[in-house]
Amino acid sequence: MRPGAFPSRSRSARLTSQLGLALGATFAVCFLTGLLSHVIQHPPTWFRWPSRPVTLYPFTQGVHVATGLATVPLLGVKLWSVYPRLFTWPPFRSVTHAAERASVAVLVAAALFQVVSGILNVSRWYAPMPFYFPAGHYWVAWLVVGAMLVHIGVQLPAVRAALARTTTEADQDRLSRRNLLGTAGAAAALITLTTVGQTFRPLSGLAVLAPRLPDVGPQGVPVNTTAAGAAVVSLVTDPSYQLEVAGPGRRVSLDLAALNALPQHTAELPIACVEGWSASGLWTGIRLRDLVALVGADPERATVLVESLQAGGRYRATTVAPEHTRDPLTLVALRLGGEPLHLDHGYPARLIAPNRPGVLQTKWIGRITLLESR
Amino acid sequence: MRARGALVVAGILIMGYAAAGALTDPDLAPAGVLLFLAGVLIGHDIIVMPAVLAVGAVIARYVPSRRRPAVIAATVSAAALIFVALPLVLGFGRPADNPSALPSPYGRNLAVVLLVIAAGAAVPPLRRATGRKSFERPGDEAR
Repeated sequence: MRPGAFPSRSRSARLTSQLGLALGATFAVCFLTGLLSHVIQHPPTWFRWPSRPVTLYPFTQGVHVATGLATVPLLGVKLWSVYPRLFTWPPFRSVTHAAERASVAVLVAAALFQVVSGILNVSRWYAPMPFYFPAGHYWVAWLVVGAMLVHIGVQLPAVRAALARTTTEADQDRLSRRNLLGTAGAAAALITLTTVGQTFRPLSGLAVLAPRLPDVGPQGVPVNTTAAGAAVVSLVTDPSYQLEVAGPGRRVSLDLAALNALPQHTAELPIACVEGWSASGLWTGIRLRDLVALVGADPERATVLVESLQAGGRYRATTVAPEHTRDPLTLVALRLGGEPLHLDHGYPARLIAPNRPGVLQTKWIGRITLLESR
Repeated sequence: MRARGALVVAGILIMGYAAAGALTDPDLAPAGVLLFLAGVLIGHDIIVMPAVLAVGAVIARYVPSRRRPAVIAATVSAAALIFVALPLVLGFGRPADNPSALPSPYGRNLAVVLLVIAAGAAVPPLRRATGRKSFERPGDEAR
């Protein structure tokens, strides 16, 4: 590259370092909240997830998506600030230099992968992604973290020098750098302002670019999988519908009249999607712990398998650990906002538990099985 | 130096964990992940960034230097918002049977937000941005 090919005076090691620190923070937040969501959905044997506070998962997952979206301008400006280095000549000075450049390529590709696939996922556009999104987004997250640690290890002296207070900087360059940092921050704020209302209710009026609105959907609550999409319409509207509850010693079958005759409880609980939106609803139904007691098991210690009438699909069944089974807020809901559940909300009966991802709130329940006691 | 070495080694081990995990995950087609990794990298380096530089060159050529910071800020903000909102505007992810997914008129909304950004950039710059005095903090001379 000839000198002056990249004429901007705004590029500097200081700008790059400051943006690098910001990106380190946003990627750390996304990684930790994403890892949490992953282990809640695929719990290792040592992992216990509490049922309270009710809004913890809506918060952590809302932060995950909002932070990921706000990363876009930071990553964009950071990559712009180092773009001339792509044309370093000679491209490789040594084996170490080649390895270091390869690790930067991995970091840039993996960081772009996470941001782009995340945006495609929240906008539910899966066609451009030739892989199963949750698995790809999960493993590439580890790739980002690894490549970032290598990058920090390599660049630490350069970052320290660039951020040292003694660094001299011409007034005009400082102004230009600060303008650009402010610009990246303002762009991130603008993205947050126009999207975060999908989970942060006070800003829902500004959520003009949010993939979801917390009060738009059947009975005022958004839906992810519809009854038609899950191919359960004829099964759940069949008058002979029965919910089967199977314990170690007893087994009961409850039709709609029997379910409605059991003690009903009402709870205000959010549906919190992994896609970062959440919406509160007033759910009425039977406490899961009451159903467990009905078949003679101890609700304080019971692990329960809740199965949908869906024939297939990744989320047709979910395991409810004792922490959630025993919680009086965990309901097999029959009503939303005082009316029988809409078909798309899981009519005739769905699971709704506090502090749990939406994909684990099984809809169109057909069977509840007691697995074990802990 | 020891800390740097530890960071590099830990990073390489974690990257190895990622690769091993991706290769052994039955839900994942590693070829698809590699294709997408390469796609976003190449797409960024040879399409997006040259386009950004071209826009920057146009701004540097035609916008007076006094107005440049505001115009750059507006352009960067607009580009970031378009990047985030484009899949919503295109609407390929909108399911026919689920009106609660992607419920808003995103094309119109994005246009409104871009107009607001443009209007913000059109506001004349504050006087202090042109005067050098304001950047000197009290006591600067003493140091």
